[in-house]
Amino acid sequence: MDTVIECSALKKEFKINKRPKGFLGHMANLIVPKFEYKQAVSDISFRINRGDAVGFIGANGAGKSTTIKMLTGILAPTEGSITALGVHPQKDRKQYVAKIGAVFGQKSQLSWDLPVLDSFYLLQKIYQIPDQQFNQTLEQFTDILDMSGFIEQPVRQLSLGQRMRADIAASLLHKPELVFFDEPTIGLDVVAKEKIREFVRYLNREMQVTVIFTTHDMQDIEQVCQRLIIIDKGRKLYDGTVEGIKSTFGNEKKLIVQFESPACVYSIPGVSQKLKPNHVIEFSFSSDQVAVKDLVQALLAEHAVLDISITEQGIEQIIREIYEKGI
Amino acid sequence: MEWLSLFKHYSVLTIKERFQYKLNAILVSLAVFLREGATIAVIYFMLLRFGSINGWEMYELLFLYSYIFFTYGLFILFFTGLRDFEGLVRIGSFDRYLLRPRGLIFQIIVAKVDWFAAIGHGSLGLLLFLYSAFQVNVSWSAINITYCALAIIGGVLIQAAIFLLMASLSFTFISVSNLRQILYWNTRKFAGYPISIFHASIKILLIYIVPFAFVNYFPSQFLLHKTDMAEFPALYMYIAPAVGFALFGLAMLYWRYSLQFYKSTGN
Ligand SMILES: Nc1ncnc2c1ncn2[C@@H]1O[C@H](COP(=O)(O)OP(=O)(O)OP(=O)(O)O)[C@@H](O)[C@H]1O
Ligand SMILES: [Mg+2]
Repeated sequence: MDTVIECSALKKEFKINKRPKGFLGHMANLIVPKFEYKQAVSDISFRINRGDAVGFIGANGAGKSTTIKMLTGILAPTEGSITALGVHPQKDRKQYVAKIGAVFGQKSQLSWDLPVLDSFYLLQKIYQIPDQQFNQTLEQFTDILDMSGFIEQPVRQLSLGQRMRADIAASLLHKPELVFFDEPTIGLDVVAKEKIREFVRYLNREMQVTVIFTTHDMQDIEQVCQRLIIIDKGRKLYDGTVEGIKSTFGNEKKLIVQFESPACVYSIPGVSQKLKPNHVIEFSFSSDQVAVKDLVQALLAEHAVLDISITEQGIEQIIREIYEKGI
Repeated sequence: MEWLSLFKHYSVLTIKERFQYKLNAILVSLAVFLREGATIAVIYFMLLRFGSINGWEMYELLFLYSYIFFTYGLFILFFTGLRDFEGLVRIGSFDRYLLRPRGLIFQIIVAKVDWFAAIGHGSLGLLLFLYSAFQVNVSWSAINITYCALAIIGGVLIQAAIFLLMASLSFTFISVSNLRQILYWNTRKFAGYPISIFHASIKILLIYIVPFAFVNYFPSQFLLHKTDMAEFPALYMYIAPAVGFALFGLAMLYWRYSLQFYKSTGN
């Protein structure tokens, strides 16, 4: 398969200048600066193939944005190497960035005081997009992203959802083959999120664009990405399919049983119990230690049972536990 | 010439952007014009009073001053983006420049071409420069005109080099406005006068550290031949236009080196 990004042992250490106060401090700082180091990314390696849609998740401060910035060539890695689209993102900057797109949910690339269209025309010039291709793309995006209502309004008058759609369009006008989305759904309502997911899915599935996507919303991941990379404290914790994460981490099951009358169940090894109202007991266990079948049989043999239901952990819950406990 | 059309496109946009606040746009031009006009008036009347300083007659002093003034007017047209660069670094907007397939310095310049300040400043500078150039006793031969034009470009580049150096330092230090205030603005105040009147330490500052002397003093000496040039190497007059090109080249190298220190922002 065609490799689009290959990075190995990426590390990013921020050197933070501790600035003393006052004029003398300022001068002293210029001559003998004092620094502190902060490790944002410690050791991350992966390979991404053409056509992949990869989701990056991780708690706040895990190092997602820092990784994306290294991959886009904005930041120089402290250590490690990146080859993307066959080139070195920083050394071959102009050549590289002409072929990628980047959307940062937190930072707009549109001119605040100008109509959206003006920013688009400027981008046409910057990327030297031929008129015909530009008009066609613009028409297509206006349609899919439903921008016709606000495309001539100054950006400062747009709602967050409108601005985000305009920003996404702006980052894609030059038809990049690799696109980075850093929290493109941040702060949006359910409908707006849905529109953006649909669009990214369309890009990936129909246009064969390789997509890298960070978010805190697992729905985004489940609907857009086939592959998931979990980052924690600057390291890669998981790299695999979205489904695979359930089998790797999500083997915790819950059996919820409603008894006819108050029941007292002897403790079973590997199973914890929680009493709930209406004679309900919640049994939690790990599916590789206890088989559901055995547990249910044991209960039915000794008690009068009204109702039984079983739940698996959702991805959301699995992730929450990973964030809270690490692995 | 494709870049020229992009430059035009950017200019139209920045002007349009400013015109969103029409009154403000006009006021900026006017404010700059008035502020600078007042500065010139002060200097003019002061010179009238003194008559001459160290052998420099009034119009010669005006000519000397107008060099600083005019080159700054040109500088500000092209290098506002460089002057305000630390703001881009602080809020992380420089990210976007790095993501676009165009030269970085080019983008910094064209994204912020400030026609309004430049018109206020530049028109006054040009008037003052032309006015004093015709008052002083210089024969405007082809050689002198060529030298003068090159010296003006060099003078713009010296100031651009200082600002580019500051921009490069802002990758490491984030806030360089204090440093710039000390190095550039305070030093510039001395540069309005013939440097021969100052204490040796100020001379060293103006020639070797923040080389304003090559923006106006040495170029003026090439044209005016005042006697106080005797205390400086005559060579400095001849190389004055080249100093700007050389310094800007060096500043570019340092800029390239400093790029790796860009940290963006935490979100
Ligand atoms: N420019 C910077 N200077 C100093 N420290 C930084 C900088 N950028 C990031 N950091 C630090 O690096 C760590 C990782 O930050 P990063 O922005 O990559 O996290 P993230 O995973 O994107 O988090 P979030 O989900 O909150 O966006 C954080 O501790 C942050 O404080
Ligand atoms: Mg982030």
